[in-house]
Amino acid sequence: MSETSSATAAGSASGAPPPEVTRLPPRQWVKENLFSSPFSSALTIVTSIVLLAIARALLSFIFNPIRQWNSTATNMQLFFTRAYPDEQYIRVWFSLAVIIVLTSISMAVWRAGSSIPLARLGRKLLAGAALLLLLALLAPFSASATIQWTLAAACVAVIGEGVRRSASKGGAERTVSSLTVLVVTLAGLVASLWVVPYGHHTYIPSRQPRVLAESGTVALTTKLPWTIMLLIAVAAYLMGGVIRERLPVNPTRITLLILWLLAPPVLIYLVLRDPSFDMGHVISTDLPIFAAYALGGSVILSWLTRPSTGEAGRILAVTILVVGFCTFLTPMRMVVRLDMLLLAIFALAAPTFAGGPRNRKRYVLGWLGVLGVMSWLITAINTPSTVSVPGGFFIGGFSITLMVAVFTIVLSFPLGIALALARTSTMPIFRLLATWFIEFVRGVPLITILIFFSIMVPLFLPRGMHLGEVAAVVIGYVLFSSAYLAENVRGGLQSVTRGQHEAADAVGMTTAQKTLFIVLPQGLRVAIPPLVGHCIGVFKETSLLAIIGVFDVLYIGRIVIPGQTEFMGSTKENLLFVSVIYWIFAYQMSKASQRLEQRTGLGER
Amino acid sequence: MKSKLFKIFALFLIIGAVAAACGSDSEEAAPATTAAPATTAAETTTTAQVEVVAEGSLLDVVQARGTLNCGVSGSAVAFSETQADGSVTGIDADFCRAVAAAVIGDADAVNFVALTASERFTAVQTGDVDVLMRNTTWTQSRDSSVGMDFGPTTYYDGQQLMARVSDGFSASSTVADIDGAVVCTNVGTTTEKNIAEAALLAGADITLLGFETSDEVYETFIAGGCDVTTTDGSALVGRKVKQQPADQEWVIFPSTPISKEPLGPTYGQNDSAWADAVNWTVYAMIIMDEYGITSANVDGECASAEAEVGRLCGGEGELQTGMGLSADAFHQVIRQVGNYGEVYDRNLNPVGLYREGSANAGWLDGGLIYAPPAR
Repeated sequence: MSETSSATAAGSASGAPPPEVTRLPPRQWVKENLFSSPFSSALTIVTSIVLLAIARALLSFIFNPIRQWNSTATNMQLFFTRAYPDEQYIRVWFSLAVIIVLTSISMAVWRAGSSIPLARLGRKLLAGAALLLLLALLAPFSASATIQWTLAAACVAVIGEGVRRSASKGGAERTVSSLTVLVVTLAGLVASLWVVPYGHHTYIPSRQPRVLAESGTVALTTKLPWTIMLLIAVAAYLMGGVIRERLPVNPTRITLLILWLLAPPVLIYLVLRDPSFDMGHVISTDLPIFAAYALGGSVILSWLTRPSTGEAGRILAVTILVVGFCTFLTPMRMVVRLDMLLLAIFALAAPTFAGGPRNRKRYVLGWLGVLGVMSWLITAINTPSTVSVPGGFFIGGFSITLMVAVFTIVLSFPLGIALALARTSTMPIFRLLATWFIEFVRGVPLITILIFFSIMVPLFLPRGMHLGEVAAVVIGYVLFSSAYLAENVRGGLQSVTRGQHEAADAVGMTTAQKTLFIVLPQGLRVAIPPLVGHCIGVFKETSLLAIIGVFDVLYIGRIVIPGQTEFMGSTKENLLFVSVIYWIFAYQMSKASQRLEQRTGLGER
Repeated sequence: MKSKLFKIFALFLIIGAVAAACGSDSEEAAPATTAAPATTAAETTTTAQVEVVAEGSLLDVVQARGTLNCGVSGSAVAFSETQADGSVTGIDADFCRAVAAAVIGDADAVNFVALTASERFTAVQTGDVDVLMRNTTWTQSRDSSVGMDFGPTTYYDGQQLMARVSDGFSASSTVADIDGAVVCTNVGTTTEKNIAEAALLAGADITLLGFETSDEVYETFIAGGCDVTTTDGSALVGRKVKQQPADQEWVIFPSTPISKEPLGPTYGQNDSAWADAVNWTVYAMIIMDEYGITSANVDGECASAEAEVGRLCGGEGELQTGMGLSADAFHQVIRQVGNYGEVYDRNLNPVGLYREGSANAGWLDGGLIYAPPAR
């Protein structure tokens, strides 16, 4: 692993070597940075006192014996999946395993991770030990607890010192992959589940009192799956390494990207929801419709993508679009209408991808793929679920936070880019419509949009027709998010110079080709920082689900758990826990953004 | 370039016009769509699920569907709590289960829908829920202009106040005694309005502090941020039992609440068959409580029962079958869920609420819980 990481280091350090930074000895560093003048000395002392006071207050809050931390521990399952039934819980673990495998393989294929000098790692561990010791002394612990924490700090210090010493052995500076450090840390955490007596908390409906709290390690249903997950992650990473060496790079990466895009709908609608397909109906109705569209669409599209088709193809494409709209006149299966509209989009875009037989075959294959995925999704969503869960939707808690965030981000990207292109286009109608939409949506608070979609829209629908609450909310989020995203993308588009447009025109590209292959790639690269910031914003905004009564992780922590007889008055504890979850994910996203910026060379070129 | 753009623009204009035409047409076609046979009307879409709503009573719809969609709060202590495994318990949840036992025959055939206070009536109007058991107070405006109908009251609540004994309050204190006090309560509910009105009538000058959640109210109260806290009596008792610190003594007053909060089942108006089914489920549980027939002894009692109990057990049958239920509907309710007293004790005793001496005692014991005769 250290070999690959040193290769990465060499790769990223191409070009001029970074300037040497002279390291000061600790005493001088402190003097220069913290006590350089009387004013800065005073500032240092005051800030340290304030920080220590805050740390002490936080610790006394966490370790106060009146805190009901067992409310958090007992409701862990509620926090993450709400009412997902125990006997089907293997589906949740399976979905998690799929995501972990994809993450690990992607990390290997994209060569994630960096190398850390051992000496630095040792120093970090020593600093961590010092912090731990400080906390142990600050916190209002009993004497025995203080001793335990001090011992833990000493252990960390010994490990840190050992690492630091081993670094200086031998001549060259020894490094370790950041992934190794990550795996060792996670392994330590997982091992602690088996060893450290965190306590065993369970809810038993048939018992009085219904909440059971025992000392000892956590339940087997928690520690065993996490151990397996860690093993899977390591195995998948090693497999990813083999894939990277053996298979060509670009097809592997494209396959992984497609798998990432397919993962959310497949995991949610096939694995977690577990629809019970009515095979008779599928064979008699869904398959024939799919086959008809697949065949007819392929014929039409392969004709449309012939360069010689010309203007007649455009007329056909528009006819399909008009027919698609007119299918809404008569009652018929929704899937027929949606497929028709999808075909119209493909037909309209066909001239852009016109070319030789290979191009045409690819385009038709693309059509078959998208049609297949959509047909399957429609069938799966309309099939009743076998997971019986009280309440509207089959998952809740953090799962629904994550699901709404992922769907919003994935769906609002194409819509936002389209809006940005429309707003910068030369066609006045599109420009006006896009501007109106963006300015209108940006002028309305998100809560208004969400309440409109959750409370008003059901009243507008004909009686008996239900728009699922989660679906309604996702639509609201997507509309809101795409308006903001469009402005971020527009900023990126404006950074593409006039010369690029003219050069593209000069080589005879059509407007669509110019946009797709010249303008967007350059514009989006510039827009990465605001786009990632936007994604983090969307992830955190999902907490507004709480206002309309969807059981997301915040609503559960703030309202539902304090509403249990056993845990009245436990809001603060659970809010702290929820904020930690949010922080972990938002921080990871911002770290990922930093890596992405480095990789695309943003701010360097 | 220009002419090409113009062509595309013209094309989209035409599409737009056609689409607009389609749109206006489809509005006219809408009645035809709804009148289409059930097979086509049961059309489903990616995001929307269309359900056939037969003209007639919700009772038939629920029986055909096989599950009861019951609107609850999902986060009201002792009334409807969402537990660690996602199940819903509480007195409201038990009445949902009772209605399911009566109408469908299976107390577990309930789909609990958690609703916020603002969503609850919309959910009934759109048909998302069949009945609301969401500690909803029966008021004139809700009964008339909001378009709801109310069933028999299952819990008589009322707003009261809670303060510290060390501040000189006792169980015999009145609203007039809180003159000059800081009063904490939840915002956005009627409790805020009730206490303001009551204080005005009693001539007490108070400072109101509003909080988003009840937990924040009690955190502030315990920390001494307010002298008095006020909400429904049931919630105050629960908080006193669970949260009173060792160094404080709290007292609830006045003995006559400052507001009337009758809580019970709520459903859409103008559906008598459905209203009868829900109401008589509650009445049957009250009558069985009067006779002392519980889930433990109902099978034995019903086997040899006569008169009123016999009729409710389904002995003669036509009383229940006449209203669209199976003859043993109420027998199932008692067996699977329990009578009124059992349901009350199971859910409310743990938070310190007892029937004796309260408005929720049976009418023979001086309370208000009363049911018309089954005959």
